[in-house]
Amino acid sequence: MSQPHGLSRRQFLKSTAVGAVGAAGATLGAPGVLRAQGKTGTVRVWGEPGPYGGVAVDGMNEWAQKNAPGLKFAIETIPWSDVYAKLMTDLAAGRPAHCISVESPIAFQLMAEGLLEPVDDLVDKIGRGRLISGMKWEYWGAWKGKQYVIPAHHQSDLLVVRPDVLKEAGVTKSPAEWNWNDQLAAAKAIKAKTKSFGLCFALGRTIATDYYVLHLLHSAGGRMFDAANKSEVVFDSPAAVETFEYIAELFPTMPPGAVGYTFLDVVDSMAKGQSGMVFYWGRVFGRAAEVDPNVFKTLEAYQQAAHPKTGKRYNWNDFQGWLIPKDNNPYVNEVKQALVYIQTSKDWQIRYLHSLVPNVSPVFQDVAQDPRLTQHPFFQTKRRSIFEYYTEALKNASNSGNELLQGISPLAGIVHGRAIIAQGVQRMLIDKQPAKDSVKWTHQQLEQLRREHIRLVI
Amino acid sequence: MSVTVREAGPTRAGGARLPHARRLELSDRQLGVLFLLPFVAVSLVFVVYPALDSIRLAFYSKEPFRQAFTFVGLDNFRYILSDPVFWASARQAVLWTVASIVLQTVFGVALALLLNQAVRGINVFRGLLLFPYMVPTVVIALIWRWMFNPEFGIVNAGLRGTGLVRGNIYWFSDPAWAMVLTILLNVWKFTPFVVICVLARLQSIPQEIDEAAQVDGAGAWQRFLHITLPQLKAVLAVVVVFRTIWTFNKFEEIYLLTRGGPGTSTFNLAVYAFEQATANLKLGVAAATGVLMLVFLFASSVLYLRLVRQEEA
Repeated sequence: MSQPHGLSRRQFLKSTAVGAVGAAGATLGAPGVLRAQGKTGTVRVWGEPGPYGGVAVDGMNEWAQKNAPGLKFAIETIPWSDVYAKLMTDLAAGRPAHCISVESPIAFQLMAEGLLEPVDDLVDKIGRGRLISGMKWEYWGAWKGKQYVIPAHHQSDLLVVRPDVLKEAGVTKSPAEWNWNDQLAAAKAIKAKTKSFGLCFALGRTIATDYYVLHLLHSAGGRMFDAANKSEVVFDSPAAVETFEYIAELFPTMPPGAVGYTFLDVVDSMAKGQSGMVFYWGRVFGRAAEVDPNVFKTLEAYQQAAHPKTGKRYNWNDFQGWLIPKDNNPYVNEVKQALVYIQTSKDWQIRYLHSLVPNVSPVFQDVAQDPRLTQHPFFQTKRRSIFEYYTEALKNASNSGNELLQGISPLAGIVHGRAIIAQGVQRMLIDKQPAKDSVKWTHQQLEQLRREHIRLVI
Repeated sequence: MSVTVREAGPTRAGGARLPHARRLELSDRQLGVLFLLPFVAVSLVFVVYPALDSIRLAFYSKEPFRQAFTFVGLDNFRYILSDPVFWASARQAVLWTVASIVLQTVFGVALALLLNQAVRGINVFRGLLLFPYMVPTVVIALIWRWMFNPEFGIVNAGLRGTGLVRGNIYWFSDPAWAMVLTILLNVWKFTPFVVICVLARLQSIPQEIDEAAQVDGAGAWQRFLHITLPQLKAVLAVVVVFRTIWTFNKFEEIYLLTRGGPGTSTFNLAVYAFEQATANLKLGVAAATGVLMLVFLFASSVLYLRLVRQEEA
């Protein structure tokens, strides 16, 4: 090839290479390459397993068709047990999704790590005053005065029972009035007098176990961290020992496999008729309807049993929202616009909520009051249970990232990533350590974790 | 043997080489080196470099979110050595490795002896034996999880059906059973490797020795002990070393079958390192674990090979 006049060989090659790369990028529609008519490429959206993430992405694609035809939103589903590892390793590798829907403690960790784009500019566009009474935007994720998470839904784990099994076991007191002692007695009666296991929840080395143990701990009056005091570890308490001992008492009524269970094992234990009672989020209703309609017919949800001394009935409520990684994300503005689009569209909100009734509960007052919301078939037979999830659960809401709704601790996400609470309980159940020693070990792990990540809380 | 490689060069009509054409002659050694070059290049990029980088990482603390990379000396090793889970994982790794290797060797030799018989259709059995070795581990692990599912698995159903047990056995919820299953999976999958190696050696042992011993009145067990086994010693030494290294480092079988549970009862050091890297994001600690594994395996292999050589001498 002849060399153009007045241009050095090196300059010529450099300009040719840049031109070729640019042309190839435009032809292939590589992400982040700007075309004259707007951005092109695929916007990756992470979501937990469940149809609702897919519905939201459908809504985002509707926005894209109208406003950015070169863009396509695509859902990437991560199994619950792998959420933490997948998120962290992808973020660490600098290739996160462009939009994420994830459980609140993990969202809190990410925002404190400085990995998220602030979304204060979206709050008024979506409607600052739209939240259901008593709920606050900060429950989903605000840190040092900035909002980082847009509310998607809330979901609580409640006590789900089969009244037919309770009846067979001779349990007559309504679960609505139970305290921990009643719950334990009912579980024992079911195990002794029926073919079912008494109670089921996950006790495997997973994030699920952490959640279950912590809702019990909160009811007993304990916490992991004191968010108001730089997340000082306050786990080692009589409440924690009592919680661990209570789990040890419940354990013989549970499926022995529970020490390896995670979320879906618990769902199936109930949906397939193995257990008479479970602690679970609303998904169990949908699963039972798919797997065994006879089980579905009998299911009822109640607020968690009250702790005998404190009278508290805390559940583990995930205030789950949408967040936007700020680094290596060429689609921040597009994701923001798409989020405003689906969050302000009652149509898409109703579709989102209907995709898994009653697992995803409404967060906006206008959507909760929309008559279309109750047009899902589950409302015909499960109305009381659904509203236990939708509204009653909010009175007892708590979670590990915002314990007793008294303040956010970004350390909770890391706790769950390591399944520290689960490991503590497993030391008692598998290694046969006394509850007190297991609590002490767990406390030490939390102390160590806080030391390692002290920069997040000071 | 001498191989001559001629450079392609200009030729006259009729094929006669021009006077300036050079001849490039390679010796056996040079040709061997040439053939090794692709392997060496790939090894340098994918084995040596990552290994050296891991050794370097073992002395650093890396915070991936901040791109912080701090020299911490021996802190990662101190962390590991003071972690009870590391020691438990090390004990379990030794148990899992020793049990797996012993069983693989015993079954491998026994099966190789069987497959060394001149029986009609023996090649079909030899082919079938490779099946476990060929199936991907993820497939096997998933199948085993179904088979040993406490509620609807075929194993419990069979045991209940034959009256051997009354209730279900919760295989993956009991630390002892979980360890047994991980060992059995490893034995089932990798015994064929031992069989292949041993069978190849068996087929090269002259039959005359065995026949002479038979004539002298030696029984089958005596012939195996004094003729066959000594002939297998060299191949078994190599097989045991390789299998030990591979088994000790194994990750996927344990992780896919039990995820290291229940609790941490089936953790080995590879699973421990993985947990440190992904769940805890302690990349330096994970790398330090790898370094300790390397040292342990190197020392064990040297010791074992020396013992074998001493015995041969």
